[in-house]
Amino acid sequence: MISQVFILSSKGDHLIYKDFRGEADKDAVSVFFEMVTALSGDQPPVVMSHKDLNFIHVRQGGLYWVASTKTNASPFTVIEFLNRLAALTKDYCGSLCEKSVRMNFALIYELLDEMVDYGYIQTTSTDILKNFIQTEAVTSKPFSLFDLSNVGLFGAETQQSKVAPSTAATRPIMSHRSEQGGKNEIFVDVVERLSVVIGSNGVLMKADVEGEIRVKCYLPTCSEMRIGLNEEFSIGRSQLRGYGTAVRVDECSFHQAVKLDEFDTYRILKVCPSQGEQTLMQYQLSDELPCAPPFRLFPTVEKDYGSRYTDCDLLSQELSSPDQTAELQLKNKAILWSIPRFPGGAQLSALFKVEVPSLSSASLLEVGPVSMSFELPKQTCTGLQIRFLRLSPTQPGMSQRWVRYVTHSDSYTIRI
Amino acid sequence: MEWASQLCENRGLGSKMTDSKYFTTTKKGEIFELKAELNSDKKEKKKEAVKKVIASMTVGKDVSALFPDVVNCMQTDNLELKKLVYLYLMNYAKSQPDMAIMAVNTFVKDCEDPNPLIRALAVRTMGCIRVDKITEYLCEPLRKCLKDEDPYVRKTAAVCVAKLHDINAQLVEDQGFLDTLKDLISDSNPMVVANAVAALSEIAESHPNSNLLDLNPQTINKLLTALNECTEWGQIFILDCLANYTPRDDRESQSICERVTPRLSHANSAVVLSAVKVLMKFMEMLPKDLDYYGTLLKKLAPPLVTLLSAEPELQYVALRNINLIVQKRPEILKHEMKVFFVKYNDPIYVKLEKLDIMIRLASQANIAQVLAELKEYATEVDVDFVRKAVRAIGRCAIKVEQSAERCVSTLLDLIQTKVNYVVQEAIVVIKDIFRKYPNKYESVIATLCENLDSLDEPEARAAMIWIVGEYAERIDNADELLESFLEGFHDESTQVQLQLLTAIVKLFLKKPTETQELVQQVLSLATQDSDNPDLRDRGYIYWRLLSTDPVAAKEVVLAEKPLISEETDLIEPTLLDELICHIGTLASVYHKPPSAFVEGGRGVQHKRLPARAGSGESAESPDVGQAVSAVSDAPPAVIPSQGDLLGDLLNLDLAPPTSNVPPVPSSMQMGAMDLLGGGLDSLMGDESETSASHYRTEVQSPQPPECSERELGGDVGGSPAMGVSLGGAPVGMPAGLGAAPAVGGGLGDLFDLGGGVGVTAGSYIPPKTVWLPAMKAKGLEISGTFARRSGVIHMDLSFTNKAMSVMTDFAIQFNKNSFGLAPAGPLQVLTPLSPNQTVDVSLPLSTTGPVMKMEPLNNLQVAVKNNIDVFYFSCQYPISLLFVEDGKMDRQVFLATWKDIPSENEAQFQIKDCHLNSDAASNKLQGSNIFTVAKRTVDTQDMLYQSVKLTNGIWMLAELRIQTGNPNSTDLELSVKCRAPEVSQYVYQCYELILRN
Repeated sequence: MISQVFILSSKGDHLIYKDFRGEADKDAVSVFFEMVTALSGDQPPVVMSHKDLNFIHVRQGGLYWVASTKTNASPFTVIEFLNRLAALTKDYCGSLCEKSVRMNFALIYELLDEMVDYGYIQTTSTDILKNFIQTEAVTSKPFSLFDLSNVGLFGAETQQSKVAPSTAATRPIMSHRSEQGGKNEIFVDVVERLSVVIGSNGVLMKADVEGEIRVKCYLPTCSEMRIGLNEEFSIGRSQLRGYGTAVRVDECSFHQAVKLDEFDTYRILKVCPSQGEQTLMQYQLSDELPCAPPFRLFPTVEKDYGSRYTDCDLLSQELSSPDQTAELQLKNKAILWSIPRFPGGAQLSALFKVEVPSLSSASLLEVGPVSMSFELPKQTCTGLQIRFLRLSPTQPGMSQRWVRYVTHSDSYTIRI
Repeated sequence: MEWASQLCENRGLGSKMTDSKYFTTTKKGEIFELKAELNSDKKEKKKEAVKKVIASMTVGKDVSALFPDVVNCMQTDNLELKKLVYLYLMNYAKSQPDMAIMAVNTFVKDCEDPNPLIRALAVRTMGCIRVDKITEYLCEPLRKCLKDEDPYVRKTAAVCVAKLHDINAQLVEDQGFLDTLKDLISDSNPMVVANAVAALSEIAESHPNSNLLDLNPQTINKLLTALNECTEWGQIFILDCLANYTPRDDRESQSICERVTPRLSHANSAVVLSAVKVLMKFMEMLPKDLDYYGTLLKKLAPPLVTLLSAEPELQYVALRNINLIVQKRPEILKHEMKVFFVKYNDPIYVKLEKLDIMIRLASQANIAQVLAELKEYATEVDVDFVRKAVRAIGRCAIKVEQSAERCVSTLLDLIQTKVNYVVQEAIVVIKDIFRKYPNKYESVIATLCENLDSLDEPEARAAMIWIVGEYAERIDNADELLESFLEGFHDESTQVQLQLLTAIVKLFLKKPTETQELVQQVLSLATQDSDNPDLRDRGYIYWRLLSTDPVAAKEVVLAEKPLISEETDLIEPTLLDELICHIGTLASVYHKPPSAFVEGGRGVQHKRLPARAGSGESAESPDVGQAVSAVSDAPPAVIPSQGDLLGDLLNLDLAPPTSNVPPVPSSMQMGAMDLLGGGLDSLMGDESETSASHYRTEVQSPQPPECSERELGGDVGGSPAMGVSLGGAPVGMPAGLGAAPAVGGGLGDLFDLGGGVGVTAGSYIPPKTVWLPAMKAKGLEISGTFARRSGVIHMDLSFTNKAMSVMTDFAIQFNKNSFGLAPAGPLQVLTPLSPNQTVDVSLPLSTTGPVMKMEPLNNLQVAVKNNIDVFYFSCQYPISLLFVEDGKMDRQVFLATWKDIPSENEAQFQIKDCHLNSDAASNKLQGSNIFTVAKRTVDTQDMLYQSVKLTNGIWMLAELRIQTGNPNSTDLELSVKCRAPEVSQYVYQCYELILRN
């Protein structure tokens, strides 16, 4: 049972504080902030305890989302809840940042009141919540929907967070009430994260894909949506379907609202999307990529005992194109090579020469591994495709449907 | 949006609200302003004002002065405004109880509102106003709302009952709300059911004995039906409630499992974990040979693996749970090693957890893969992680014997990198490998010695010194190496100093001729120039040992060390079982029972896994064949069914305890021996370091195994025995080692005590009973009993001549028996036995005789001959006769063994009406060589973990649970685990005998 929920800015300012059970002090907030800032790097921050109060928190949008409990509660429940709370805040307020939370505190209190009663989570579904929520969202600036060519992928945060949130993704879902001109749009994204380890001999040692199908819906009224996947999509090892190349995953889980009666035969997901963002389906594939891994690296390491320096320094670099950059990060003992664009089928090369104090044969053992972070638009590694996206009954007026694919690197490591 | 921007301006102050004076003075004007706005006629202005008040409230400003003004805004049709006012009320009503009454009327009115949203809002808010006076007004509206037509109102009212119960439990009972709540379990709306279940569960926790949440097959069925229709959060309440239910039999258990399994593929990890908890618990009841059991095992793996693709926070929590599951049922994830491989961008706390699980899953089948990974990790950038990875390689070597060689060569490769911290970690783990596989990998010592100079961490230096000392005879320049450390002796940490002292003494004992000077140097450094009491005491002990009795010194210092056990950080079995019942909760993240961190009575009931159907049956089974097959399943085979062929097997292990271990009297605890033993332990024990166990065994005296660990460091100075012996010795020790110390005796004498004192104060001896009545033996009556004195088994016999003639020429013989008991000497009845005369004879027995399984196991057939005839009788001996004195198991070994013995071999017994507390029981049992390895107290229960070793080398592990809280519950519970389960019931009989007498 959740005792308190609070949201703190990165500096520890109280943005939201809600006590559900009246069993803990408000001082807990400062206690939490002191504890979380005093943590050393290797201490797990997720669950902390102070006297008989336990704090569970996540960080989203640069904010601390914290719940405290005095009972032996489930941290899974609490973390899932805090993540949903953050997602709902984003759905309702447009974006997730200190400013939007500050401006919409009344709305967030109202949400919290409906979501949790006496520490028991009641609901986190937008469909149900929209019946109760009275407060209108306050957005910091009007936004335009015209620049759709730039629509990035909402929610598809990569570890480098390079994807700027698109304007479409930062629109509050409820704003159609005031802005009658808001478009009826629906976005379906297939996002895959790739974890690859390539051994020093070039052999693929591990290749895992974690994928999900997400929907962000701006349609005011709920109508049934049918999403057709590749017919040859199969789950598990034994099952094979169709005559084409199998699109196979190991494990698949679905959102509770997804109806699967046509899934087994036709690979059709049926759902009445509620407003806001949802993950309809999650899937995993381990070890058997249907295609070659997207990037290969051919490293050579040479040593030259010629000169002796006392500092570690990047002496020279040769990059294949001027728009690339490279820098030596002494703190991480790494060279960061940034490539803005990498056309398909191309090969890029770079040569780095590094001075290392007291070079020995053993120093070479310390070289590597190489880790890559990237984003591949319009591609899925499993080959999962969306055949069609139908709304029934057809929406009156303009309704736009968008299907997007992207593959991110989760952890792409090449050993040397 | 001025309130918002104002909020922004104040944010710098928000976090330092302690200085309230500052705020009350400067913000007074603001309060007045707000007051005016709140009383404004314009709705919009009012709303903005209430928002401003709430904004101030959030940052911690005291706006309670506005209470009446805000309450005035309550009567409005604007729902948004009403919600804001209620928000304020919930926060301040408690500090202004009299004012809060003002709001009651509106609440009661709102509970009658046609709009269900308003009805629910009112009942929800009223429950949150924790003011006693309000509660009486709450009852009527609550009663109506519990029966409201709208499910939204009903589900809110259900929670409100729990709120009200927290404020005034008596009121809730008197008003009959609990019954209404029970009715809601059958409600048509699943959300109402879920909230009713949650509320009842919470109320039930504060009334542990009430039958509130009466879980029976019918209610369970209702819950399982609601489970499919609920929201995800409701599913969690219901699953958690199900987990408290104990099915009647394995069929019911299976049917519940079948209905819960679909939840495993839910997208919400909390639902998944609650389902895992239910399944892990109910699985315990399923017979292992059931097909469904295997199916279930397979179904558990994918959802657990899926959790690892979540964000790091969830991953961490999941890994902590998986760590428990892997310890309980390693088979679930044994094929999933790869998912625990570390990703370079995992946070360090996730990496470390994964590493731990990797080692737990390591087996011969996957060790190559694991080692290759670990080697990669050892070259990463993060120093902490690299260290842990190197340690992990060492743990693999110790866990999977076949991989030891590979691990050692991997470690040597890493040492070649010369990366300082890698080298040091590697040396620390190689030391452990030496402990596990002595005399196997000593060839690497040369390589290790090359790196001597680069070691700057105490643990690594200590490890290296230990290696040099331990293998001094193989290292040509061991003396030089150790001497080099001696130069900076006083700058070293205690750990290194102690180790250096011991290592040099070892070296001296191995190569006495060349190293006399060195040992004198270190002894004088330790005793005269050091002000560290541990070091000084250890120095003195060595000094006296060496000067009094070098042979004894050798036996003590160079005593064979026990091998280190495989798994060093297993969770205690009962704690593990309890934690399994709490999967998915905080307890499973902390790896502590909830009682350790939850205050008061809430949610801390002690949970236990249900007993497996049919477990323990085999112990009582009269079917010998079955029992024997169970034995052959679990080597080492212990009790052969028939014949001497198998008996030979046993004899391998049958060295009588007296031959190499001097008998230790059970009363040792009171003697000087124990004090010294404890003292020695604490001197040698290196409490501050993780490798304590390692050093502790360094100077292990051969006798006192049972004092170890108990009083670590507690009695270094306080022990009278130590005080006397040290105080009597001159402070300046004689310089020449050859000269006997002024106080003769010294330690040598103390050690001797151990052998000398032969008292059997503690052990229970049953009274003599008549074994052979005179009627059957032509006037010879034999009564007798068995006793174990000073480690020797005696048969105490009384011969009475009830015939008319004199009896002479007595002799005795035993038939083959289960434990090979045989007379150790001839029967000594020296004088002829005249009519009506009685003679008492004590016959020492050995356990080296021929073996044959008897029925019952402890049956002994005896033949006694005299000048008249040969007479046969049989008697039964208490099996405690066979409990040997060195039967105290090391804690870690105990844990590992407990885990290792399959749970089918566990037998449960009850000892009724025993009024002993745990210490008394432990003392009593120890008198009969039942040793308490560890004690744990959970709530009102003491748990004693005890070990027993039989003369033929069989170990028996027991858990004795004693209620401490309730004087009326005097039943003790005993679980016995043994590889030979047929022995269990005899052990139980002994427990009863000993504890009752």
